[in-house]
Amino acid sequence: MEKKVSEIMNTKLETISSDATVYDAIERLIDKRIRSLLVLPKDSKDDYGVVTVRNIIFKVLAQKLDPVKIKIGNIASKPIIAVSKDTNIEEILNLMLKNNIARVFVKNENNEIIGLVSFFDILAEILIEKAKK
Amino acid sequence: MLEKFWGSGKLEKKVLEKIKDYLNTLCSATQCLKEVFTKEYIEETYCVENLEREADYLKREIISMIYEGAFLPYIRPNLCAFIEITEKAFNYLKLCAFDFRYFKLDIYKEIKEECIKVADINVEMCQILIKGFEALTKKDNLREKNLAIRIYEKKVDDIKLDISEKLRNSELAKQVNFWEGKTIAEFVDSLVSISDIIEDASDYLYILDLSLK
Repeated sequence: MEKKVSEIMNTKLETISSDATVYDAIERLIDKRIRSLLVLPKDSKDDYGVVTVRNIIFKVLAQKLDPVKIKIGNIASKPIIAVSKDTNIEEILNLMLKNNIARVFVKNENNEIIGLVSFFDILAEILIEKAKK
Repeated sequence: MLEKFWGSGKLEKKVLEKIKDYLNTLCSATQCLKEVFTKEYIEETYCVENLEREADYLKREIISMIYEGAFLPYIRPNLCAFIEITEKAFNYLKLCAFDFRYFKLDIYKEIKEECIKVADINVEMCQILIKGFEALTKKDNLREKNLAIRIYEKKVDDIKLDISEKLRNSELAKQVNFWEGKTIAEFVDSLVSISDIIEDASDYLYILDLSLK
């Protein structure tokens, strides 16, 4: 897997403000048929976060909390794991394994998030490489 | 195993070689279209047409050889059908190159990145289709080639939505007249249909492989 992460990353990032409610996030996840949202920093000192279906189920719905009353900022995972766009896929896999995560974000030189690589992107890449041989 | 079904005569070998040439021509045409998009060079669009004409000639040769007696009779229509499916990809490539000549370049620039991505995927899909055809003749793993082509086709579907969204929100695209709009619509439609056809051709190869088992 010689490719760089920038060649397989998904650049369509869905974001949400940390002041939004969990219910807003649920609606976005269902409408867009995705499994995670990038939580934007509140200010320049704050970090990016991520809210996943897993967060919502275990931290809100399974606890019988009201998703309309809970703010995204309270359940988002922070800080996120982000790599530079020149990182190779092998390194991404190691990061996923080491941190037990399903997605890694990609940042540019200004530390802005520009993409996302998920398990599925890596699976697709491995299968395509295999077929090319 | 295929020798048992396909025969191993000179004519059969010749047909298989010609089909490979035909698929290589398709690959060259997709590469040519990618060059057009990257360099925004109108003259290069004629290269797609020339390759399409070359492929048309190859197609006639292949079909004539098949009906001259190559392969067992029940395999002949299947091979011809595979060639005819692939021919549709040439038609879309030609249409796409033709529409590009009349496409306003300032509007094209708004979707250039996506168009190059699709053109690049088309090239990769063609290369895998050739591998798929070789896998069929060598009795190799055709299933994994077919899966890779399906993965690529899903990627094109996603990019197609991005192109539509960009064009719908483009101020420049809102100002075009009927004919310019028709050209844009046909250009996008033909561009994203190429991968559909390659997927159909790959599926057909897979079915052909299964039917020979």
